Amino acid sequence: MKITDAMKVIDDKWIEKKKGFRVCLQRREGTEWVTDYTPGEKVAPLDSDVTTWRLAWKLAQSTPPGSGDPQDGDMINIFVVDQDNNPITYYATGAKETFNIYSV
Amino acid sequence: MEGELTAKMERMRHVMTEYGTDMIQAMVILVVGLLLLQFVMRKLRVLLDKKVKDRIRATTVLGIIYILALVIIFSAALITVGFDSRNLLRLMVMIGLGAIVILLVLRPYLPTLPFKVGNTVKVGTLLGKIEATTMVHTRMKTFDGKTVFIPNSKVLNDFVINYHYTPTRRIKIDIPIRHIRDILKTKQIMESIMVEDPRVLLKPARPVVYVINLVDGCVKMGARCWVNNTKFWLTQCDLLEKMLNFMERDKIVLAGRRQAIRVFHETPLEVSGEGTGPALDMQATSAAQVPEETGFAAVSDDDEI
Repeated sequence: MKITDAMKVIDDKWIEKKKGFRVCLQRREGTEWVTDYTPGEKVAPLDSDVTTWRLAWKLAQSTPPGSGDPQDGDMINIFVVDQDNNPITYYATGAKETFNIYSV
Repeated sequence: MEGELTAKMERMRHVMTEYGTDMIQAMVILVVGLLLLQFVMRKLRVLLDKKVKDRIRATTVLGIIYILALVIIFSAALITVGFDSRNLLRLMVMIGLGAIVILLVLRPYLPTLPFKVGNTVKVGTLLGKIEATTMVHTRMKTFDGKTVFIPNSKVLNDFVINYHYTPTRRIKIDIPIRHIRDILKTKQIMESIMVEDPRVLLKPARPVVYVINLVDGCVKMGARCWVNNTKFWLTQCDLLEKMLNFMERDKIVLAGRRQAIRVFHETPLEVSGEGTGPALDMQATSAAQVPEETGFAAVSDDDEI
């Protein structure tokens, strides 16, 4: 096997290079929870998971779940996904994290 | 003497009678034209700033319009005074051609600034974006919001780094660790973090981690990878943050810089018998290990970006 072939195998199979990240969340609209992404699915995703996790955390801090009934605009179950909508691990803890957990 | 003065006055009166009205008209055309041009240019600049995103192109277009308008105003004034329009046209063509020839011949010998408007450059210790250049100075906006006017003579005499000449830059992150047993684990962490980042490029070179040095009781690990120029700063910060988090989680001990402090005690030694000899200094030393700031750093000469 040539070195170039070996490198190709490594590039393809060793560590997956992510193409981008989005914050996935559920937002209250009327009486329903709607799954939403930021940035939206029709625009380019963010290229930094650090920035995306920061965005997720700030969104979670801005909309903490109240004790009463859900209100319009509430955001729950906030986490970060990759380009294929797969949840990614939080780099700070090494585990899959979800902010503002709320069972629907 | 008196006759000469009278003759001069007479000539002047004659000139004023014959050309006075034309000269006043020409002056009015010149003054009103220049004022109007100033006003129009100001409005045009505001309009183009809003409509055109490419500022360099907008400035070029404005410059051309300004020069053409100036030529028209001066020509109108000169024709009003009595210049023959055909001769004026010839004169202008001659001046134009002469300017082009001089520019073509002298261009290689004229000192030119090593950047264009919009480039991100480092001049001496100043780092920022070039906003404008004139014959005398260069206007730069630094990343902390300051506007700096740098004399062109200083630009030409100082070193200049222009980050627009190459599309990519290399990130350099050095992290010292305490234990040799952590070398392999650290290498894996640093390399995998770089490889999985979408902004890290495989060309001109793949991400790589080196064991750079063993100094002051610590192993210096160095990560190198290439990214696009515009993403350099944020990528470097993100990579460093992730590396430190991963290493903390894997209990890799980072090495702090150490400094030994010696404390000297002066204890005079008493000698019995006649006369007292010179006191002997007994030096007791004790060393204390004082941890200083940790020495890890994303090393770059552009930390303020």
